[in-house]
Amino acid sequence: MKDAAPRASVDELFAIVDAARALVSGASSRAALVPSLVRSTGLSREGVELALTEHLELDATAEELTRLRDAVTPTSRVAVILSSNVFVGALRAVVLARAASARVMVRPSRREPEFARALVTALEARGVAGITLEEALDVARVPDGEIHLYGRDETIADVRARASVPVRGHGAGLGIAVVGPGAPAEVSAAALARDIVAFDQRGCLSPRVAFVVGERHAADVARALHAELSRLEAVVPRGALTAAERADIVRYVETMSCAGEVSLGPTHALGLARAAEPFMTLPPPGRVLHIAAVDRFEDVPLHARPLTRALTTIGAAPSELGRVTEIARELGARARIAELGAMQRPRLDGPVDLRGDDALRDI
Amino acid sequence: MDLARSSALHARARAFVASFERAEGAPEPFDRLACDLARYQAEHVAPYARLLRARGTDAGTFEDAARLPAVPTDAFKHTRVAAFDPSLEQALFRTSGTTIGARGAHAMRDVATYDAAALAFGRRWLARDLVGETPVLVLGPSPSRAPDSSLMHMCARFVEAWGPAAEASRAFLVEDDVIDVAAFDERVARAVSDGQPVVVLATSFALVHFLDGMDDLVFPLPEGSRVMQTGGFKGKSREVEAAALRAEIARVFAIPERAVVAEYGMTELSSQFYERVLFDADAPHGHYAEPTWARVVPVDPETLEPLPEGEVGLAKVIDLMNVDSAVSVLTQDRVRRVAGGFELLGRAPGAPPRGCSIAIDEMLGRRGPS
Repeated sequence: MKDAAPRASVDELFAIVDAARALVSGASSRAALVPSLVRSTGLSREGVELALTEHLELDATAEELTRLRDAVTPTSRVAVILSSNVFVGALRAVVLARAASARVMVRPSRREPEFARALVTALEARGVAGITLEEALDVARVPDGEIHLYGRDETIADVRARASVPVRGHGAGLGIAVVGPGAPAEVSAAALARDIVAFDQRGCLSPRVAFVVGERHAADVARALHAELSRLEAVVPRGALTAAERADIVRYVETMSCAGEVSLGPTHALGLARAAEPFMTLPPPGRVLHIAAVDRFEDVPLHARPLTRALTTIGAAPSELGRVTEIARELGARARIAELGAMQRPRLDGPVDLRGDDALRDI
Repeated sequence: MDLARSSALHARARAFVASFERAEGAPEPFDRLACDLARYQAEHVAPYARLLRARGTDAGTFEDAARLPAVPTDAFKHTRVAAFDPSLEQALFRTSGTTIGARGAHAMRDVATYDAAALAFGRRWLARDLVGETPVLVLGPSPSRAPDSSLMHMCARFVEAWGPAAEASRAFLVEDDVIDVAAFDERVARAVSDGQPVVVLATSFALVHFLDGMDDLVFPLPEGSRVMQTGGFKGKSREVEAAALRAEIARVFAIPERAVVAEYGMTELSSQFYERVLFDADAPHGHYAEPTWARVVPVDPETLEPLPEGEVGLAKVIDLMNVDSAVSVLTQDRVRRVAGGFELLGRAPGAPPRGCSIAIDEMLGRRGPS
């Protein structure tokens, strides 16, 4: 390890969070930022506002940042590559990188560069040293330290092949929800809808599949979720979809119309697989949820197992978090366990992704 | 189920094959039988009934085969698409490989309909010029080893119909995923000495596997031989582009590229389509012939409506031989209508993922055509 800098202090990490808070709470900076984020993310204006208000980790505590810092291995330099992520993820990425090193280079995503650029610019303006924008960063020329890469598996493999330093990759992922008999349908659906609406389901924590215990309970959850997503469409409209995304949704709806049941809204779709013929399939994102009714909690791992490798978070009602923790253990999934409604609001206490060797932590 | 009605529909479907073989016109309008099949399936195939109910479509209004609502191939993985009880199954074919949770399944009550169509059209585009018995060699496992493979079932019909009966049991040259190259060589050598062409049937995957083992060597087939190639492919450590693979097949087997004929079919269909290249000197590779009993309709991927002539869309296949399952099937392949049939343009990729949410193709670790 070449000249590893001293571990960052918690105050230095707070300075990054403070810069982000100032960026999004300042009227003029926010007014400048939101339109560019709408353009680059494809989210609606309300979707961007929701992300900045609810899903940017500005309320981190000292204890959480201490845990984050202590879990990261110091190194001489960190190059952060944001090739694929939800835009608010840049904050956690920069905090993690700074926790590891006093020299941080940030290469924003080419598709969604705005927030990362604005954040690093804000840091520089506030005199936070050592964190720079390097839009032309060449991974092969990173001389020492390590690379933190947020991207698809293919991108991670490609960067690993070209880099001469260690690459810690955070790949694409998804979340699932588990709704047991003890979780009221209306309350669970309202909470789950918030998780679905955030980032239009394009986050690596976004729930894409829900396993509901009990056929009638599944139907009730589907009905309540359909109503709630319909209501939320007026509050946080879904952003633009590409033609290919729309086609994927059409295909899922047609398939579920044959194989199960569909609740179709103007900008959402729910597929329900009955307990008599339970099956799990992965629908496309864009506010589309697959609901698989199962007879018992114990049946969930059987159906969820194909998703294990991609699983980053499991959401459940507060009273059922213990059962869901058992499910994660049985799956061998290193996933965050979160309450429904908070699946996309993980605490700033470490990497979002707890999976495998690519987790940004000292193993 | 309504056995009498099903049997009558099978008879009408097979009449298309019989008239084709007699070089006569179709026994009835294609659309009429297609719509009758759709009405029958609306009553007896539960997934199709659900689809129509979800769309608010009345089967009594069906007139145009191209506009029949289609069952997506994905649905075959999750629900039984059949008009009859499993106790009446003569065959149950499954898609290859594994996907999230299930393989697609296509049950058949009367396999004779499938067999008649496969033989008639296969003969037309692979073997119409062959005289007498012709050795058929299959780079695949025997049906007894792969009983749920519709492709191997079809190959077995070709072996029985075209090849010497005494050699039928030795036609399949793959066991435990290993090609018996020595047996292949012995059969080819005998054909060479007999002055007989051979018909080689193979998946693209098996061909890539075979070619990988050949390096720069050649494996000349007798003059007049032809190779039927089917399915997507991926090399052991690489993907192989279609034209490059075809050129390599032709080089190694010492046959013209036009003797390498691609077949387009799938477990969810009862009919197959073939490149026209072996018998149509003007047809390029990638252009497929349709039998009189099946049509490929390019549809808009969002509206699922038929597209104007010449536009590229998703392939909706109207297959009159799918009597007891789904006469109208929505695939994931891109096609365009051309003179004499359609052009196959490859699988429609899933939408490129945005954000950091995983796409299904990533989950499955798939790359390129399936």
